[in-house]
Amino acid sequence: MKFSLNWIKQYVPVAADTAKLSDLLTFAGIEVEGIEEKGGDFPNVVVGKVISYVPHPNADRLRLCQVDDGSGMARQIVCGAKNFDVGSCVPLALPGAVLPGDFKIKKGKLRGEVSEGMMCSAKELLIAEDADGLLILPPDSVPGTPISQLLDSDTVVEVEITPNRPDLLSHVGIARELALLTSQVLTTPMLTDAPAGDPAISVCSEAIEDCPHYTATVIRGVKVGPSPDWLAKRLTSIGLRPINNIVDITNFVLMELGQPLHAFDRAKLTGGIVVRHARDGETLAALDGSTVKLATNHLVIADESTPVALAGIMGGEPTGVKESTTEIVLESAYFRPACVRRTSREVGISSDSSYRFERGVDPAGVESAALRAIDLVLEIAGGEVVGGIASAGAPKLSLEPVTLRNDRCRKLLGADIADQEIVRILTALGLKDDRSETTGTHTWQIPSFRADLTREVDLIEEVIRVHGIENVPSRNLARFLPASASDLAFDFRRRMSRKMIGAGFYEARTTTLVREASLVDDVFGPREILRIKNPLGEDSAALRPSLIPGLLSVVETNIRKSTADLRLFEAGRVFEQGDREERRVLAMVMTGRTTPTGWQSSDAKVADLFSLKGVIESFGIPKLTAVQNEKESLALCAAVYCGKTCLGHLGQLTPARARDLGTDAPVLVAELDFDALREAIPVRFAYREIPRFPAMTRDIAMLLPLDTPHAAVADALRSANEALLDDIVIFDIFTDPTGEKVPADRKSVAYSLTYRSYERTLQQAEVNDAHARMKQVLNSKLGADFRE
Amino acid sequence: MEQTLTEISAAALAEVASASTHPEIDAVRVRYLGKTGEISKISEGMRDVSKEDRPRFGKLLNEVRTAVQSAIDAKVADLQAQADAEGFRNIDVTLPGTPTPEGRLHPVTLLENRVIDVLRRMGFALADGPDIEDEWHCFDALNTPADHPARNEQDTFYLPDGRLLRTQTSTVQVRVMRNEPPPIRIIAPGACYRRDEVDATHLAQFNQLEGLYVDTDVSLADMKSTIEQLVHETFGADTELRFRPHFFPFTEPSYEIDIRLEALGGKWMELAGCGMVDPAVFENINTARGDRAFDPEKVSGFAFGFGIDRLAMILAALPDIRLLTENDVRFLAQFQA
Repeated sequence: MKFSLNWIKQYVPVAADTAKLSDLLTFAGIEVEGIEEKGGDFPNVVVGKVISYVPHPNADRLRLCQVDDGSGMARQIVCGAKNFDVGSCVPLALPGAVLPGDFKIKKGKLRGEVSEGMMCSAKELLIAEDADGLLILPPDSVPGTPISQLLDSDTVVEVEITPNRPDLLSHVGIARELALLTSQVLTTPMLTDAPAGDPAISVCSEAIEDCPHYTATVIRGVKVGPSPDWLAKRLTSIGLRPINNIVDITNFVLMELGQPLHAFDRAKLTGGIVVRHARDGETLAALDGSTVKLATNHLVIADESTPVALAGIMGGEPTGVKESTTEIVLESAYFRPACVRRTSREVGISSDSSYRFERGVDPAGVESAALRAIDLVLEIAGGEVVGGIASAGAPKLSLEPVTLRNDRCRKLLGADIADQEIVRILTALGLKDDRSETTGTHTWQIPSFRADLTREVDLIEEVIRVHGIENVPSRNLARFLPASASDLAFDFRRRMSRKMIGAGFYEARTTTLVREASLVDDVFGPREILRIKNPLGEDSAALRPSLIPGLLSVVETNIRKSTADLRLFEAGRVFEQGDREERRVLAMVMTGRTTPTGWQSSDAKVADLFSLKGVIESFGIPKLTAVQNEKESLALCAAVYCGKTCLGHLGQLTPARARDLGTDAPVLVAELDFDALREAIPVRFAYREIPRFPAMTRDIAMLLPLDTPHAAVADALRSANEALLDDIVIFDIFTDPTGEKVPADRKSVAYSLTYRSYERTLQQAEVNDAHARMKQVLNSKLGADFRE
Repeated sequence: MEQTLTEISAAALAEVASASTHPEIDAVRVRYLGKTGEISKISEGMRDVSKEDRPRFGKLLNEVRTAVQSAIDAKVADLQAQADAEGFRNIDVTLPGTPTPEGRLHPVTLLENRVIDVLRRMGFALADGPDIEDEWHCFDALNTPADHPARNEQDTFYLPDGRLLRTQTSTVQVRVMRNEPPPIRIIAPGACYRRDEVDATHLAQFNQLEGLYVDTDVSLADMKSTIEQLVHETFGADTELRFRPHFFPFTEPSYEIDIRLEALGGKWMELAGCGMVDPAVFENINTARGDRAFDPEKVSGFAFGFGIDRLAMILAALPDIRLLTENDVRFLAQFQA
């Protein structure tokens, strides 16, 4: 909401310092969104009248002027401008004045001549963007008059009013708050008594729930025309367009008191007024030119035949006040906030009125706003009130009193605020104290405009809002609380992230919402996807079931930007239908060179599946195995197990998919479940004996069927339970599709077996025996031929 | 005989001196000290030396052998030292080091970690909740009325089954209080979603960090000190902060927290929201729990929450918040902590 400071000053004195005003509002919980200075208030800048001038004796371009500043004594001013004459009235900054830009005016000498001030241009007073010479004021201006009286100066403040404070949606509301904060007296407009007599129009409410109180007043013999200057200026100052004096008055009172009003042309109404819900098929031609289709839950103001206004939102065009209008019906009412909010949303119309009704207006304001408007209409548009105010229903003026225990207030705030300070604050807010017998506990009557104060905590909030949190001492209340399950899970994720960056991976954070089509990259899927009912677009319609699609799109972006060597990981949530709807996974992707080339070496190793597998192996998962797996979207795929638990998958994209991403190099991907990983990776802090006796190694070179995996060799050796066998290392694999060196259906592999005892130094003979047993196992289980 | 020995000694030492390679010095050693070398031959001649001369001659022979041997040793060491030095000649230490693969954490993670570390030192434990929430946890329990604007499909992502993506991490407060009695002192980092069009300053998905402290005597003064310590530890002791009264449905009184840092242009920047937990929230929890564990007459608490991405944007002076989701490695490489 915008308010004008000049307008506010009608009700409460306001300091000129806008920065202070801004702070004052800010710390009262009223967010200042902008301050616009128009014209300005310039202390010590007055109207000056040039009495005479002569050329400066020492400077061709300057003049030596004698200026009347209203004191009766001529003042000498040195001036460079030429656009004035004897008798011209101009703004005169006296010594002590401070012009915009913190330009301080002092008495001084210019080229040897005394100058007791400065005559100003429009630019120097921030009235115009630039200026040629001095600002020439009307010739009848009185010397000595403060310049701000001649300039249309004002400060317009735009504030954000939180939904709990509808009482601040008016100038008087803001002024009341400022009066409280600065301990000053609020002056509200004087109202004449309500007109007496039988109402000249009938008013009937058929929807007392949605409209608890409705009033209408008939004023006859008004002369509709343009508003007087002061009224038009008030409205334009806050960005409203003057229409005609009657409409302007209703808008003025709305902005002054916060009570929306509406004026009907009496001649266009058929009979009396009925407040009711719309009937099926009814429409309303609204003032904004639209035609509103009404539904039966919409509250309308109707005459005997048809709706004439959308209650609390907008009037109808046919019954609006125009030049030809001579008799008006002035509406002032209270509409139920939820009713107005719903209707406003459904018909897609909101207005200054609906904005206030939605938030709740002051029930007591219905009558006072009507009286205020009547006074203004009679004053500005003439005419006379016919009969008394017609009314249906009654205002709900009394709110439930709220009890405040001052001790409770002090405890919750942790601040020692004295009883009398609490009482002072709440009293200044307009609350009335029903002092009860118990000291320190008061039951407070709530003013009708503060319907938001319903509970003790609401009053405590008011106390601290005025008292100021800056006056509350900081306090430390420490209490040890043990680590939670979430702590342990978080620590594990952090540990894994550190491992990943240690392995040269960059962390990416991609978005949860993805394009469904991108899920062709859910290479370890398929999964049952969760979708958004109201996505912003197709690009973000699905909840990701995997981090891989997002990471691959990051790979593509980076390759397009010429970074082809990539190691990325993400630790994030994935979603799928089923028991584990949300879980966290660790995903990684790798492509390009594993070590950058440098001046020492120009041949770089390009990452392959085993580079990424090596990263996973470095996690220290005991009993880690990888099982060959077939996935359509992958050239290579392995499921990663710890014992019998599947941790996730590892794979290489098909070359075609890699080329789509912009690279000929292998693109490796892996995704592991965090919970499973955490189970699999133990925290180890125990001693195991370090071997004291030397080991012996024996190599095996053998031919195996081409499809015998390494895992089968290792399993065969391990399952023999040879006590001395300590380690198995594969160090060569050779195949020859031509069949020349090795038969085409066989492969030549070489292993190094390590034998060791933890009790003694081994003898050659026993190692030879053990090794022979191992070879026997390989031969019988896998059909190995040894190449000795 | 003595004469011969002296001559041999002189010749051997001269040859050692002139040798300049390992094979040469080796040859010298063989020629004089080898099994059939000159000096060895002479020592065989000891038999012919008279008994009285033998000790003196033996001593002389030993001296010569030792002298030649040490000359050879010295020469060998010298040659080795020369060869060693050769290996270091013309090595330019200003050449760049061999690159080691390096990785970095995402700036949002770095910042999140920084804040989490401070709060954990202050005694907050982590808590967690799902991204997919129901309306009760996200709105009702937090005292957000049914007709609140945030609850419509313009502003919040809904799933077809009526559930939604949480719009704030405050949902975790609700989950924790439902499951555990006071005292509670938790922080919950996590993703939140609002149906905002993505542009240079807005993301539809962003990261928040929520804090909650509920106990028998928690007051506004405790909240103030917690926030002050958090700000000073995170941004430096010379950071100014202020509490601006505000309105949130789930806290009362409520504040927005602004900070000001000379290093960041000296302007007030909105950092977070905070407030004392509204008694209505406690009562909603009590109803759901079916007990009075969170009786607002007995316990009180404060909550705070702030956006990590926005903070990252301010602290790192990012021109476009989408840099955070693009994951260009040249961007990611810029941050470390």
